[in-house]
Amino acid sequence: MEIRNKKIDRKRLRRAIFCIGIGTAVGLLVYGIFLYFKIDIFGWNLGLIFAPLAAGYVETILANRIIGEDIGAISAFILFIDTTFYSFILKNPTLGFNLITAGAIIVILQAAFPTLINYILLVVVGGILSIFVNTFKEYWAKLKLFMKKQQYVKWDGPDAELNTDPIPDYDETGSNEKINSLNFFFITSSDMKTRNHDIIGIYQSEVILEKDKDLIKLGPQKAEIKRLNNIKAGKDECLIKLSKQIKENGGNGVLDLSMTYNLIGVGGDNIQITARGMGINIK
Amino acid sequence: MILTSSNTLENKKILEYKGLVTGESLIGANIYKDLFSGVRDVVGGRTSRYEEEIKKARDISINSMIEKAESLNANAIIGLKISYDNLGGTMGNTILVTAYGTAVKFE
Repeated sequence: MEIRNKKIDRKRLRRAIFCIGIGTAVGLLVYGIFLYFKIDIFGWNLGLIFAPLAAGYVETILANRIIGEDIGAISAFILFIDTTFYSFILKNPTLGFNLITAGAIIVILQAAFPTLINYILLVVVGGILSIFVNTFKEYWAKLKLFMKKQQYVKWDGPDAELNTDPIPDYDETGSNEKINSLNFFFITSSDMKTRNHDIIGIYQSEVILEKDKDLIKLGPQKAEIKRLNNIKAGKDECLIKLSKQIKENGGNGVLDLSMTYNLIGVGGDNIQITARGMGINIK
Repeated sequence: MILTSSNTLENKKILEYKGLVTGESLIGANIYKDLFSGVRDVVGGRTSRYEEEIKKARDISINSMIEKAESLNANAIIGLKISYDNLGGTMGNTILVTAYGTAVKFE
């Protein structure tokens, strides 16, 4: 509608005013209904939203039918002024500013000035947030860089203590001779058909290898060799312990010998080596 | 050298029990191998790289055991046992492979 045009069609203007009036009346009626039935949330009447919406809707429908075009939901704006004045100033002058009030004002404004409010919300607020987030990210990146530098300072130097000495291989031959010179039969099978023997009982021995803190200084490959050497030495010790137990009970061998290796302790830092079998006395 | 997991040697008479022979080996501490195996696990299928490594470790353990049996003048190993134990490490992939048995002299 070209209201500001010098050649104002008076008939169209009257019709427009009529539409605005009907829209405003409907809006006031809706607001009255909401007030009468006390349809509110936290003391905030929902009519503040629905009255301008109803007014604008009715006005627009009427304008489209009578004039044939939209006239801009002026009644919604009138309702916004009326209801705000009534609710916030006349009826409840002590209503403080809080999250609910702020939200209500935004919703009312959005209903009255949708384009302007949407622009403010999406472009202005969005833009401010975007600038804030980018600035925040920038500061966060600087902080991370600063923390990294601190870490580099903390870790500067330990490499000098890295052990470069070669790890000697475990003495396999010596270990084998030691185990088999105990005057004791270690038999992994479950029977000795060619030898007459008495059964004494089930025996078990354990050795626990604690975490070797020096391994970290060796590097992965050497640490692996050292760890294996520790396990082999632990196994020998475990077998010797088992043979001692059985000898103390009059035996001189073990049948069905089995060995297990398990991780134990908090975080599985320690290795438990277990040897078990049936103690026997070979005649 | 005859290797058997049974208690006796079929149709052969054991003359002497020579003693216990063992062999151990460790695989792990290889970040690239772990990484690629992890990828393979995600995709699915067999991790052939790991299979090769485990076979290699098992061979080392068995050969070490055989050498010890030979040094004891044995010609067979009975009651052979082979075990694989996870010892943690990088991504939990440090594996201890142990082989042990009884060295014997048969007729």
